[in-house]
Amino acid sequence: MAVPLLELENVSKSYAGTPALRQVNLSIGAGEVHALMGENGAGKSTLIKILAGVVAPDSATIRVDGKAVQIEDAASAHRLGLRFIHQELNVVPALSVAENIVMAQGYPRRGGILVDWQTLNRIAKEALERLGVSHIDPRTRMARLSTGDRMLVKISAALLSSDGAPARLYVMDEPTAALTREETGKLFAVLNQIRASGSSVLYVSHRIDEVMTMCDRATVLRDGQSVDSGLLSQITHDDLVALMTGRTVSEAYPPRLAEPSGKIAYDGHGLTVRRGEIVGLAGLSGSGQTELLRTIFGSPARAWRTGAAYVPKERRGEGLALGRPIFENITLPHLGTLSLGGAMLMPRRERLFAADRGEDVRLRAASVKQSARQLSGGNQQKVVFAKALSGDPSLLLLDEPTRGVDVGAKFDIYSIIREMTTKGMAVILASSDLPELIGLCDRIAVMRSGRVDTIVDARLTEDALLNLCYGRGPNAEAA
Amino acid sequence: MRALPILRRFGTLIGFALIVAFLWWRLPDTFMTARNWLNITQQLSMLTVVAAGMTVVMVMNDFDLSVGSMASLAGIVAAMLFSLGYPIWAAVGVALLAGLAGGLFNGVLVGVIGILPFVATLATMTMFSGAAFIVSGGKTISGRVIPEAFGNFARQGLEIGPVTVPNLSMVAVAVVALVWVLLEQTTFGRRLYAIGGNLEAAHLSGVPVRRFKLIAFSLTGLSAALAGLLYASRVASANPTQGSGLMLNAIAAVFLGMTMSEEGEPRVLATVLGVLILGVLDNGLTQMNVDSYVRQILVGSIILVAVSVSALSRSRRS
Repeated sequence: MAVPLLELENVSKSYAGTPALRQVNLSIGAGEVHALMGENGAGKSTLIKILAGVVAPDSATIRVDGKAVQIEDAASAHRLGLRFIHQELNVVPALSVAENIVMAQGYPRRGGILVDWQTLNRIAKEALERLGVSHIDPRTRMARLSTGDRMLVKISAALLSSDGAPARLYVMDEPTAALTREETGKLFAVLNQIRASGSSVLYVSHRIDEVMTMCDRATVLRDGQSVDSGLLSQITHDDLVALMTGRTVSEAYPPRLAEPSGKIAYDGHGLTVRRGEIVGLAGLSGSGQTELLRTIFGSPARAWRTGAAYVPKERRGEGLALGRPIFENITLPHLGTLSLGGAMLMPRRERLFAADRGEDVRLRAASVKQSARQLSGGNQQKVVFAKALSGDPSLLLLDEPTRGVDVGAKFDIYSIIREMTTKGMAVILASSDLPELIGLCDRIAVMRSGRVDTIVDARLTEDALLNLCYGRGPNAEAA
Repeated sequence: MRALPILRRFGTLIGFALIVAFLWWRLPDTFMTARNWLNITQQLSMLTVVAAGMTVVMVMNDFDLSVGSMASLAGIVAAMLFSLGYPIWAAVGVALLAGLAGGLFNGVLVGVIGILPFVATLATMTMFSGAAFIVSGGKTISGRVIPEAFGNFARQGLEIGPVTVPNLSMVAVAVVALVWVLLEQTTFGRRLYAIGGNLEAAHLSGVPVRRFKLIAFSLTGLSAALAGLLYASRVASANPTQGSGLMLNAIAAVFLGMTMSEEGEPRVLATVLGVLILGVLDNGLTQMNVDSYVRQILVGSIILVAVSVSALSRSRRS
């Protein structure tokens, strides 16, 4: 077997004691399109940051062409021929395509001062043509390009930036996340060109279909550990899914403790939720899940009073005041009942109350006087939960409640949700994590373009649910 | 590295102690006397009232540039009403109402319309200032039109044993106590801090953010008007620019105070220490006959040092 272009061995990295990567291995051959897969929080972005020299691993052996190397910073990654095309495209919309392409090199000059526009546009045109792209005029403003075309421009810029070190490996982070089907096709043509030229691609994605079509091999990260898939041409779609989830879906979720009762807790916007029931909101991202939850929640002040509680999607942006103590975060919506006449604070009582509620959600903190900032992501989310559950709500609205939460805290949160339903609470849970919806919900409402499209029993397969999200029948062939 | 957090939390306090020690050393006879300190508290009473009010909006991460103009305007309004023969209680009442209304207007601009506080209060600062000139005709209102009792208020005080505590100082202490209770002991204050901590999270937790901004800005306007009245009483006159120095000093005092809290949030007692630093320095340097322009440079440097130490240790920590 030929010497791999890039080899990573035993890469480990912990953040504040929580391991993000545990002895991860990754090997990419020359001329190979290699997929890096895994669920949210599996460690993909940490691994990429280590490759880019942005994050220092706790331990790692990195070899390029069989020779051990160090990646200390972005410059050394560049010298080794690594090029990164990030998820959020860093482009300057006000400048032209050509300027965006040559920006890293510096503009060609005439007489050392004036910009040589002719040469600049020619360089950019050639860079685009190398990708087989001829429909983009280098003089167009970047702002006028579609997301897909911007991606192509970024790739050609990465191709061009070979000062001193030729590009060997392109790392593309979710490159198709914002692309249309047609644009994806163009990107794939470019990937094939890169492959033909002998360079390699590390293709980060969780879209199984795309990876099966486009990539030669895959490395799957799961809870910080890596699994090499071998040649993708020799395994099936389902094999890859099993590698990614690593467990049958039901194991990861606490058992259902009680059946929903007949009493209706919420009825409106095409949804009926019974007491003790968990209804999921599925759908492609941006199908209106968050908006529906906000509509149901309505005016926050009234909602809290009438027994609704809301765990918003952005923990840091919407859920917590990070600089405030834990107990102040927990008691904020309930100050009316935790104070003297609704006016004077009773901090001691608040702290005891918050400590109790923190215990209910298995919050791990030294003291409720600590600021929320000092907690891990999972514990911060538990504070948001403690705050939501403190008023004993009858309706709990959850928007991506386990996003960016480690596996242990995830299970805790699932257990809490389950426990609350036994007390008769009704739950509406929006999640982009399909196994989570299937594992936790009684019924799932599939949303399309802003409204509830269909409601199904949650006992279905991930593929069937995905098909529903795309507006196909549950048994349609995956496209 | 271990010393750094201590330096951050208590650096400003230590700085204050050093300033006091230095002045005591250089002015052994006059500085550390009850008379001088009572004098300082009286000199600082206007600034204390404005800074306490400023703390209320700064807790929400907003601020109010119009307090100085409002102080001038309130003094002018009261003096004009005196000259028209209104009794003291009526003139003072109307002037305070003007402050409340001006603050409410700021609150509407920031909280309801959603203009950045810098822009909104910069505009109202100009407007209030213009109004003060129009109402007064650009002149200083003084002399016999100011009732004697109004001017006497600032000159008198409460005799406690051998010393007389000036009325102005007592008003300042009372305002600080009220603001302290409001911010630290009531649900209102807690919710204000929540808004400052994360406006969106506060909103989603049921805090009526808009109403709170209206109330908070109104209180700041009210305190500015009160400070303007204290000033007018002290000099027994009113002119349309006499409050203009208050705004920058008030903001500086809150910033100095913010260097002393864990998460860099304003606390009214810390603000008072900020006011004291500015005032003691001014008092001592004046007694040492330091040129007033040199004094300005010194005061500015001290603010920068305090805030820099705080900012540096904060960035180190993250």
